[in-house]
Parts: sequence; C-alpha cells; structure tokens
Amino acid sequence: MRLTHRTSHRDATTSLQDLTIPRGRHPVPTQTSLRTRRVPVVMYVLALLMIPSLVVVGFMSAGFWATTGTSITAQADTPSKEGGTGTGTGPAAPADPADVKGSMTVQQVVDAFPTITAAEVLTQFSAPLDTPTSTQLKDLVESSDGMDIPAVRVWLAKQTAG
Amino acid sequence: MNVQGEGTDRRLAADEARVRVPRRPAAWRTKVRWTRHTVQGAVIALVGWQAVRKVTSGGDSAEAWCPLGGFETLWTLVTTGRTVPHVHTSSLVLSVAVLVLALAGRGFFCGWLCPLGTIQEMVHKAGRAVTDRVPGLRQLRRRLERDASTERWHRIDRLLRWGRWLVLAWAIIGAAATGTMVFREADPWIALLSVAEFEFSLAFAVLIATLVLALFIERPFCRYACPLGAVLSLAGKLSPIAVQRDDSACLDCDLCNKACLMAIPVNTRTRVTDASCTGCLECVGACPSQEGLAVTLAMPTFPPRRSKATVEPDPEPVTELEVAR
Repeated sequence: MRLTHRTSHRDATTSLQDLTIPRGRHPVPTQTSLRTRRVPVVMYVLALLMIPSLVVVGFMSAGFWATTGTSITAQADTPSKEGGTGTGTGPAAPADPADVKGSMTVQQVVDAFPTITAAEVLTQFSAPLDTPTSTQLKDLVESSDGMDIPAVRVWLAKQTAG
Repeated sequence: MNVQGEGTDRRLAADEARVRVPRRPAAWRTKVRWTRHTVQGAVIALVGWQAVRKVTSGGDSAEAWCPLGGFETLWTLVTTGRTVPHVHTSSLVLSVAVLVLALAGRGFFCGWLCPLGTIQEMVHKAGRAVTDRVPGLRQLRRRLERDASTERWHRIDRLLRWGRWLVLAWAIIGAAATGTMVFREADPWIALLSVAEFEFSLAFAVLIATLVLALFIERPFCRYACPLGAVLSLAGKLSPIAVQRDDSACLDCDLCNKACLMAIPVNTRTRVTDASCTGCLECVGACPSQEGLAVTLAMPTFPPRRSKATVEPDPEPVTELEVAR
C-alpha cells in the first residue's frame, strides 16, 4: 500500500512532459559565469538568413555588383556600357588592356579601345569577319588556333601604345 | 528496527533523488530539421537554375557565385587594385556577406546555405538508407562505425582536420603569388556549379571523390578540405551566438554527439565554439532535455545565467524494506 502511495505522489508532482536525472550526477542548479541569454530558434534562423540578403541587396543598390566583367578599379573608373552607372550584370569597359577578360564581347573591346575595329579583333582570332560582335572573347579563344586572352592583351597594348 | 540498515536505505534514497527538467517536444526537432532542409533546398534550386541557365543561355559563370574568390583575390586587390582573373564583383560582395554572417552566426552558412554541404548530407543520408536495407552493407557500415569510435581513428580525424587550413593557405598564398586562382582547378564548388557542362576536370574528380567519401563520412569536404569553412570558422570565433549546454539539465545520453554532422563531442562542451560547428542545430534537436542545449547569445551586459532545472527531492524515499512489504 505504501509503495502505491509513493507512486501516486510522484505522478502528482512530476509532469509527463518532464525528464528526471539522477541528482548525484550533476551539481544542481548550475550558475555559469557566462553572460548569455537563450535565443528563440525562429529569431536565430530569420536574423541570420536576413544578414547575407541585406548585405547583397545593399551592395547591389550601391551599384557594386556584377557577375561578369573586369576588375573593380576599372569598373569604378569607367561607366558600364550596359547600365551606364556600373549597375547590372554587364562588364564595364576596361581602361587598360590588362583588364580585358574572356567574358567580354568583341563589341565591348571595340568600345573600350576606339582605335581597334571589330574586324581586327576577329582577325586576331582567325574568326570569320561576319561573326557577331556580341560573341564573347572566350568563345573566340575556343574556336581559334592558339590565340588566348593574354595574347590579346599584349596585342591590344601594342595597338593602343602605337 | 535495524538502525544500520535504515541509514543505508536513506543514503540509497538520497542518491536516487531526482532533478526535474522539462522534456523537449518531439516535434521540435522535426520542425527545425525541415526548416533547414527547406532553406537548403531553396539554395540548391537557385544553384541548379544558374547551372542550367549557364549552359542553355550563356548565364553567369560559376565563379561569379563563389564567395571564396573574394578571399583569394584579397592580396591582389589590396596591392594592385585589381582582382585576379575569374573573380567578379559579385564574388567580393558574397565574401563580405558570408564574412558578416560568420561574425554574427558562426558556421551558419555551412550548415544552412552551402550547397556543397547540402549535397554531401544528401549523399550520406542516401548511403545510410541503402546500407540499412542491405544486410551485408549494414554489417560493413556498423563495423566501420565501430572502428571510427576508436581512439586511433579520432587521432587520424583530428590530424586530417588540419587539411582545411592547408588548403586555405594554398588557395590564398597561391593566388597572391601567381595572380591566378590556383585552387580553382581543384575546387568542387566550381565543378558543382559547372556540372551541367559535363566537363571532366580535376575539380570534377574532387567532387566525385567527395561524394563517394560522403557515403561513409558525414560532410568529408567540410571537415577536411574546405578553405571557405576555415575562413568562416576564424571569423566565427568572434560570434556571440553559440549552442550552449546546461550541465545540470544534461542526461549524458550522447544523442547530441551522434547527431552532430561534424562529430563534435557536444556533451563535453559548455559552449560549442568549435571551429567546425556548422550551426545546424541537429544537436539541439536531438537533445531530449528542453534545457540541455539551446542557442544562446552572449553579451557582457547580461547577468550570469542560472540553470532552470529544479531540484525535486523525494518526499519520503522508498526503502528496500518497504518494497519487500
């Protein structure tokens, strides 16, 4: 009878939602020296998801975002051909042949270096002269016979210096 | 009444006195896990869309979405004002974004956003699902897991984890010295983003090797080779957010250790500030005690934290004599 009484007392004092731990295993209760507070998981997730989003949106709205193109100094110095203000996904026109990259189109090279014609660029790659000027240099490299971007930069440097 | 026997009974009873801690609702883990998988799925969908778009309509290059590029080009950018080839402005912005994220939330990027980590997780889970159904493979996996719990394997694991720092040094110093992204040739992230092009390269081989290893080891690239994870773990050391364990509410059940994707011995930590922590909250979800593990924010202005576990002494301990009656 006594045992039954004990069991029912425990049931009354310990919720089914609770766990029990042997007391001897831990000092109880613990007061840590850490000055911390619990963070609700929802807040943790939402706040941390917002941080990178805000950073990216902030830079985008400041015009500092391009998924193709050249170095940032050249981009800052020269307005973008596509956006006019350096925004958008188009690469900016380089001020220096060293900034020419494979992602640029023939037209962008011609625009950046007024002394160069599209035909000259295409000839360097041994490409047909009727090739669209919207073709990227890297595509011309693939179809060319040994011409690559560094060689184009050297050639452009010679042309612009002369 | 035997006085000596009664004293022994009382001591036994005192040892059996219990501490009451609230149980974590079973659905909590499921909710957190599905939230994480939803976020991961959205990122994978975005990456997949980029990969397909690149092939079908000449979309952005893989490097444009690589946060590591920003770190690789840092030296060149500071000294010459230019970025190394294949690094775009978007890479720099993404680098800043993940760095700020690490300063705030430690390895959150790795655990919740990194598509390469997600794919490794998926492969590992698929591998487990298969091995669970094939008896021979199940036995092999159990034997491997048994071996993996040995001290010798732990030593090898600890040694291999230095690999992240070596790869980071190679990527940063190589890019600074040569002016090119030397790690790009072996970067599985680039291979993943270019996967729709079906070009076999060293990076693709590394990706395949990573996925094969992921069948047996949880997130092998993250553990042993990820340079971005190494950078973020450095920044994460300054983060005020971490999973914290309340010793008074811990059941010592080891479920948190088993749930950890990065094999961190969570139940030996007060605050999980390990460099490899990905903030995935699997350990928190696995903890049956509501107060055992929690995400916490540390601030010098906060008062010292006190456990919420409550002592519940047995009102009248049951003695062996009483049980016999």
